[in-house]
Amino acid sequence: MIKQCLLANALLAIAVSPACVDEPKQVEAGRDYQVPYRLTNTLHTLVRAKINGKGPFNFIIDTGAPLLFVSKEAGKKLGLSTDKKGWTTLDRFELEGGVALSKVKCRVETPFQLEGMNGLGMAGAELHGIIGYTVLAHFRMEFDFTRDSMKWTRLDFDPPQPQAVGKKGDGGAGGLEFIGGLMKALGQLAGKKAEPQIIPRGYLGIEIYDCKNKVRVQSVQTDGPAARAGMAKDDAILKFQGKRVANTAQLRKLAGEVAAGQPVRLIILRDAEEKTITITTGDGL
Amino acid sequence: MRHFLQLAVILPLVSSVAVADAPNKDDVKPITVPFELLKTQHMVVNIKVNGKGPYRVIFDTGAPINLLNNKVAKEADIIPKKHPRPWFAPFGSMGQFKIKSLQVGDVRAENMDAMVMDHPTVGLISKFMGPIEGIVGFSFFGQYRTTIDYQKKVMTFVPTSYRPPDMMDNMMKMLMAPAAGNKVVAPAGQWGFRIHKNADDTMPGVNVKEVMTASPAANAGLQAGDRLLTLAGRWTDTVGDCYLAASQIQPGTEAVLRVLRDGKTLSLKVRVASGI
Repeated sequence: MIKQCLLANALLAIAVSPACVDEPKQVEAGRDYQVPYRLTNTLHTLVRAKINGKGPFNFIIDTGAPLLFVSKEAGKKLGLSTDKKGWTTLDRFELEGGVALSKVKCRVETPFQLEGMNGLGMAGAELHGIIGYTVLAHFRMEFDFTRDSMKWTRLDFDPPQPQAVGKKGDGGAGGLEFIGGLMKALGQLAGKKAEPQIIPRGYLGIEIYDCKNKVRVQSVQTDGPAARAGMAKDDAILKFQGKRVANTAQLRKLAGEVAAGQPVRLIILRDAEEKTITITTGDGL
Repeated sequence: MRHFLQLAVILPLVSSVAVADAPNKDDVKPITVPFELLKTQHMVVNIKVNGKGPYRVIFDTGAPINLLNNKVAKEADIIPKKHPRPWFAPFGSMGQFKIKSLQVGDVRAENMDAMVMDHPTVGLISKFMGPIEGIVGFSFFGQYRTTIDYQKKVMTFVPTSYRPPDMMDNMMKMLMAPAAGNKVVAPAGQWGFRIHKNADDTMPGVNVKEVMTASPAANAGLQAGDRLLTLAGRWTDTVGDCYLAASQIQPGTEAVLRVLRDGKTLSLKVRVASGI
């Protein structure tokens, strides 16, 4: 239960506002945007944003947050200077998909949920901030997790600014702040990193299709890695790295796990004869 | 410190609960649910839990799971009689349970996951904004095409085929996984081009190094020397970004590459092939 409490709280991105902000200017009511998103391991909707033309930075969409939070780490990278209370105004805040706001007030602060998730590398991506009401309310948002982008429609709406609750010094998470630091400490013990390094998968240079429970080669790219290893059109691929493959989806999955520059061994069927060929994977999409 | 270490040991030992359940029947018409906006700018909806209520809760897209306080848990009979109270229950944290029926306005979902806990942030908000008994999160809205309109103060819901994974299950897998180091990312389909970016190049986009002859990219008019700015609407500012974006595009579908060539921005439509 202790773990549930800690973890769940770190994931529940809900925050209260410490003070007031001014509203950004608005334009182009009615315009639709397709905003690409990614669902993190922690089941947060992650979108990417560029701040003053720099980035991209990873943000979660959070109706439980009253405003825009930019982590201290990202703030430092951007060279943002804040007033004494931690507020700053971003000249430009642009989301992937074309949504852009100018003169956006935000807090440069790392809410404990971000610190915790980043510390344990839980989300599968480093999180740089939280997008809350003061940005979200300019749009009608549509979530649909069967699609790979959200739909945002610009509203002709001037969202009011959030009010702080409680007394000064009371406006935090109500006593949960320790969790972020604790999880960061745990993550350091476990050697966790927030952001995995992306390695492009190796390229073979063949088109494939499904035919009678076999994977067949439709075409071989001239001078590509597969061609150099002697693969030919109409070959059937039986095994990839010792594993039997019955369809293209299986083969794509296995081939998708091999980095560029690696040798892979394939067993193919050509003219009713089994052959082994070894391809050194190349680079390409 | 000993406490930390104990925690670290406990974490991977705990196993998970069941998986999210069977789909609701399709009903194409969106159901509209009004919400109240607090002065703190949190969205509040009325819910019924196992027919009990209504209760006021916060609608939170940043919450991976629903959360209810102990008062509601008791009234709605969420915690099984034999469930032992945890040896350590900060903020009354009892664990994760199934709710038979969760009604959010006129939307009724069955067999929902919820945490039971007296969340201090929720407590803080309700101290000033009237009683708030919990949070509705991803385990609910993830199952719907959900729209939020802050101007009209309404949400709409249409069921989809998506079923959220069990949050705890998910989290345990994450924590037990080896430290995030390297991750091989594969395009879902074949495009037929190579990219490159120098370490000191900080401008948006990546360089197209080579376009394979007769490939989908070549057919779309992509050329070596183009600067690739976006792939299917996603920024391609690093080589890794480009692969991540391409991992979303299935073979047989069309996607747009936006490229910069001779100072002009072009949109090239590529039909992605099935290949590796």
